[in-house]
Amino acid sequence: MKVLKITPERCTGCLRCEIACSYVQVGAFQPAKSVIRVSPFEGHTSYAPYTCTQCAEGWCMTACPVGAITINAAGAKDVLDDRCVGCKLCTIACPYGTVFYDASTRKAFKCNLCGGDPACVHACPTAAIEYEEVATRDWLHDFAAERASHVLATNGGRR
Amino acid sequence: MPRRHLIIGGGTAGMNAMRTIREEEREPSEITLVSAEKPYSRMVLPYYLDRSIAEQHVFTTSAALLAQWKVKTHVGRRAAALDTKANVCTLDDGSKVEYDDCLIATGSSAVRAPVPGADGANVHSFWTLDECRGVIASVTPGSHVVMIGAGFISFTILNSILALGAKLTIVEVAPRILPRMIDDAGAEVIEEWLRAHGVTIRTNVKVTKIEDARGKKRVKFASGGDLVCDVVIMATGIKTNLEWLKDSGVRMNRGIIVDDHLRSNVPNVYAAGDVAEGRDLVSGQPALHAIEPTAQEHGRVVGANMAGKDVAYKGSLIINIVEVCHLDAASFGAWDDAKADTVVGAKRDRSAYRKYLFTGDRLTGAIIIGRSGDVWTTNDVGMLKGLVQTGVRLGRFKDYLKAHPFDVKTAYIASGTAGTLLPETVLGRPAKAPGETPVAV
Repeated sequence: MKVLKITPERCTGCLRCEIACSYVQVGAFQPAKSVIRVSPFEGHTSYAPYTCTQCAEGWCMTACPVGAITINAAGAKDVLDDRCVGCKLCTIACPYGTVFYDASTRKAFKCNLCGGDPACVHACPTAAIEYEEVATRDWLHDFAAERASHVLATNGGRR
Repeated sequence: MPRRHLIIGGGTAGMNAMRTIREEEREPSEITLVSAEKPYSRMVLPYYLDRSIAEQHVFTTSAALLAQWKVKTHVGRRAAALDTKANVCTLDDGSKVEYDDCLIATGSSAVRAPVPGADGANVHSFWTLDECRGVIASVTPGSHVVMIGAGFISFTILNSILALGAKLTIVEVAPRILPRMIDDAGAEVIEEWLRAHGVTIRTNVKVTKIEDARGKKRVKFASGGDLVCDVVIMATGIKTNLEWLKDSGVRMNRGIIVDDHLRSNVPNVYAAGDVAEGRDLVSGQPALHAIEPTAQEHGRVVGANMAGKDVAYKGSLIINIVEVCHLDAASFGAWDDAKADTVVGAKRDRSAYRKYLFTGDRLTGAIIIGRSGDVWTTNDVGMLKGLVQTGVRLGRFKDYLKAHPFDVKTAYIASGTAGTLLPETVLGRPAKAPGETPVAV
């Protein structure tokens, strides 16, 4: 299966992925409705995008009480809007924090890989996000551990 | 290999078990379902109550789908006795079902506080579909509804009652709301929010009587100050449906005691969901978790084991989330552990509250409250679940989280939580999408 391969060192924090994502997902240029989210590190001197891993367990999918989360043609876990009642169980069942709730539609929403043509990949100017046939892994761990270490070293973790 | 499986109870646990049997089995087997009600999802009843979905939407299966799964059904029947020596279950109409192995997933029922008038007209419980229909028939725009009990069940229907245009008063015998889901400080944040959104809350009051009062109801309290209303909803707790097993030889404590394969002391009798006293993931101790995700995971593990797999269950994580008037409140794991190393964060002006409980350098419990519209609240809900579920060692990021309780993601990502989670599955293989079930029969 093709997955979103993240190379955090290449991310410049421009947020084009969030803007493109929200436009495709909800039809608005609204990063708050994006399902890929760029996180700042080291006091906003470096950044990395974070999104659903399309994990094997599919905690959101197995938790859904009405079968409203399925697997689409791209292999992504996808919310069926006409089945979702907005109970939020998937948002708490997902241990990655990548299922969201839209208060205006009262539905859950998440990364569905844009059905196989992810907008974030097109939008990223530095190829920090690529769509490739590789095994998914924890792309951000080492990057974040190193950068957070700088923060801990400089101020002991306190603001 | 057991050829005749009996599933007693058509709720979440029973449905997941049947589906998993069909997913996992190599050879066709017989499945018989005994279910007092036509299977539906209790989780979505609040959305039917406020009519944001049609009644049809609550059902989790249909006669056609059960026929496709080759399930023999006894819907509308209850199990009345289990003979574990003869492997026979007797139903409430006297008919008998033989089995090679069976799953007890009979769930819970609502209990009403034992006060005079609790069984009167226009006094409702809210637990089953029938009870939901009863509330729907009673509540109209402008009705005054008094909910007795400020626990999780009340809070799941609070939005719906308000959406129906009713006026709502919640009364609670304890000094505070949500005593089994949120700590004192968190409860205060939610109470304040609800008062600001027009909900009347009376805590520390004991109901003594519910009377008819010229077409209305009068709720009387030990401390005085009667309430006159149109509808009373009693959300005063639930109890497990286990009385029918008392002579069965199945060992019970608060629920049926099960091992890591969800087997009872009788090797071919399993239990799942509300009635199963299984392993708590965080404490490792036996516990009753009357929540949807536990019923779902239990059901799948039992289904796989009934189909001949050898699936051990790591234990269930207690998780609860409720949204009231666009404020989210969630708790995970051992959120009330008095021995834990604890940190609290609050932004009172945004009704945001966090509490993290650590054992060593692992997060073993958490509470999060925040506005549903706050972007990072929803991210953090899942990440906190991931931290508690994995028990990942936070090392130096424990201090980071204590210093920055509103920046969960740095500690989450930097401690490698996602990498710990990626290989994890409940059944030892990727989950299948609903509707993708291959039928071997």
